[in-house]
Amino acid sequence: MKRNIFLFLIGVTFLCSCNQTEKKSQNYQNQIGDTPFDVNLDDANFQLCDASNTLHKRAYVKYDGGYKAIQKELNENYKFQTKYNSFNGYFIIRFVINCKDEAGRFRMEVLDGTFNLANPSKELQIHILDIFKDLKKWKHPFYEGKDYDGYKFITLKIVNGQIQLV
Amino acid sequence: MKIIINTVLFLFSAFLFSQENCFIYSEKSPEREACELCDEAIKHKQGSKESQLIFDEAIRIAPNFAWSYYQKAVPFLKRGFLNDGLKILNKAVALKPLEYLGYRAYWYWQYQNYDLCIKDLETYYALPKAYLQFTPGGEKDMRLILSLAYAKNNNYKKAIRTIEDCIATYESEDDIGLSDYHTLGLLYLHNKQYDKAIEMMEKQFTVNKDIPDSYYYLGLAYKGKSKFEDAKIQFNKALLKFQETNYYTNPNAGFRAYLIDVQTEIDNLNNL
Repeated sequence: MKRNIFLFLIGVTFLCSCNQTEKKSQNYQNQIGDTPFDVNLDDANFQLCDASNTLHKRAYVKYDGGYKAIQKELNENYKFQTKYNSFNGYFIIRFVINCKDEAGRFRMEVLDGTFNLANPSKELQIHILDIFKDLKKWKHPFYEGKDYDGYKFITLKIVNGQIQLV
Repeated sequence: MKIIINTVLFLFSAFLFSQENCFIYSEKSPEREACELCDEAIKHKQGSKESQLIFDEAIRIAPNFAWSYYQKAVPFLKRGFLNDGLKILNKAVALKPLEYLGYRAYWYWQYQNYDLCIKDLETYYALPKAYLQFTPGGEKDMRLILSLAYAKNNNYKKAIRTIEDCIATYESEDDIGLSDYHTLGLLYLHNKQYDKAIEMMEKQFTVNKDIPDSYYYLGLAYKGKSKFEDAKIQFNKALLKFQETNYYTNPNAGFRAYLIDVQTEIDNLNNL
């Protein structure tokens, strides 16, 4: 029980930090969407193969089995709770796939049905982020004859507690 | 040949959509200066810090010049910063609805908010000077997107009428898009008008035979008429088409078929 509470608090801290990161977006990175390592958010063991040249072409980041496989895994891992019914909107999860096909640097933006920033229960936010982190079959970009680390984002729509990959 | 001509036309239209003629603004006006700054900004890599700083300067010089907001918004939208991107794009839409309502509708479509997509496109097409607009990739007339959005809201009759009206405005068969008949065919299918769905998919093959989904939906239409052998033939064609490396992916299909869907239908028919 104590361990669960501890993990929950860590998750809440992570999500609060995510929002703070979004608010700094006016201090532009070299490219919109560049996500530097943040000691408060990121796994230090996750490394980019070439941090100076991460691809911003999300279509080149693939998943084994494609859209259907992602949808299937998310559906299997999503644990619906009645209280989730109260939120309708979008979870946009951005992350990087390195050239070893590992995922990291997760950031999440939550929007309501008309695309305003929203703040549903932390429990739901943590759960959604967790089921995305459980996706393990990513394929890094191979672009113009070279391997790259690549940025990707995926959007999940939730309506009346039911999830739909956008 | 028709595919090449269509592709060139569509790409040309997409190019036009993304350009602004700075010479229409008087010399030394804030709009002219902002426009020229934007021209300079888009020479940098899209989404780069350099380009964003120039767009900011253009906005500071001419806060009512819509193109700066549009260009600034694009990389935010394309990289998953939807809230930021829409906030910026909304300013372009407010200043020049004729130019940017269609683009915002496209993003609403992308995020499956069909009500907002329909609202923007209905507003756009009601404007007296509304002109032909395509998806940013140039492959579909935005009236097809409006039609598909109606269909997503289960209003198939309105969806069918919209696309029929769209096709009726074409001056010749050469204006038909790469997936127009396909889209109309699948709408007939959803509306259980199987004969019309079959007719439309056959017409699709005269324009573009390279969408695997066309064979799949044609198969479903035959299945709807209990013509199971004909259905199986089409499902197998879809299977073969999926195995080709260069099939047409039909962006913004709205209703997409996957290899597993085709395989499931074949398995089901084999078990009859």
